[in-house]
Amino acid sequence: MNNPDADGLATANQPVDETDFVILGRVRQLFDETDPMPADLPGRIRFALALRDLETEMARVAADEDAPVLAVRGEERSRTITFESDSLVIMIRVGANPDGTARLDGWLDPPGARQVEVSASGTPLAVLADEDGRFAFGSVPRGRAQLTVRPESPGPPGGRAVVTPELIL
Amino acid sequence: MDDPRPAPVGAGRDERWDERRARTAGLLAEARAGRTEALGELVPELSPMLWQVARSAGLTAADAEDVVQQAWLRLVTHLDQLSQPSSVASWLVTTTRREAWRRRSAGRRQFPAEQDWLAALPDRDPDAAEQAVLDEERRELWAALAQLSPRCQQLLRIVAFVPRPDYDAVAAGLGIPRGSVGPTRGRCLAKLRAILLEGEEGSTDEQPGR
Repeated sequence: MNNPDADGLATANQPVDETDFVILGRVRQLFDETDPMPADLPGRIRFALALRDLETEMARVAADEDAPVLAVRGEERSRTITFESDSLVIMIRVGANPDGTARLDGWLDPPGARQVEVSASGTPLAVLADEDGRFAFGSVPRGRAQLTVRPESPGPPGGRAVVTPELIL
Repeated sequence: MDDPRPAPVGAGRDERWDERRARTAGLLAEARAGRTEALGELVPELSPMLWQVARSAGLTAADAEDVVQQAWLRLVTHLDQLSQPSSVASWLVTTTRREAWRRRSAGRRQFPAEQDWLAALPDRDPDAAEQAVLDEERRELWAALAQLSPRCQQLLRIVAFVPRPDYDAVAAGLGIPRGSVGPTRGRCLAKLRAILLEGEEGSTDEQPGR
């Protein structure tokens, strides 16, 4: 058989079988190697979806701070940044761990046992703030990160999640 | 690494697929109730497919990222159009394709020479014998794909990334005819298969008597 087109057409209306899926698996592998999706794309999409939630309140950087980009280099450096929204003030201190990751310590005002999430490199990490509004992430990967503070649960009705602008850790 | 099969098959498959379907239905219900980010759980599994949809349409990486993200955000406002969990993947593919075409024709970027991506086979460490076998297989596949029309190349590139449980719906959405028991092979896959099987010596696979 020298004419693959004729060959192909003869079997085109047969149901797909396991051999077909093996072939498709090879095609997938080929393009996974030559043109893979950026690894951080799903994380960014998930975050965009989370932002769509109407109950989200956007925090802004408090006026007297630098641009909302935190560069933490070297162990000696740590920086503090304050975010404000209509209902909440979030203060965080960013420090560098010896292993190259970042450490985040934060406070919420008004204080409350609210869940705090940091989305970094696609995987959200979550901790619960204590009654005084303190929270800490011991090790956060460097790169883009964004904080989300969930409403207290159970809490007063109408509680909204608060989201900070994106940071570069 | 050397197992090219896309997904395990056989016992338990239907059960797992049912579970997945129920999970997707639950996430859609949550999203309809206002918790948009529930859809995020579907993102890791379905996005590689959408990436290939956008890239195979000739978009730059930056445009492709944007189009894929837009498709997900648009899903939020079209949840009422999805009658069944099984239509999510197909809806996303259609939406991504449409937007990719729109951008391309809007002249953001010239469509690349038809087989640009075929020329991009990366070099590999030529020392390992195992790698040589893999390279040989890849070259063979590459050469086989190059014999297909650009439309078939594009179609197969997309179809290869469809999760198995979604294959039926997505294939139908891409215009691959459906048979009595499920999706047919379709012309593009049939051609690729014929070329590959012909390349293997003494391929007798279901050819005699036809």
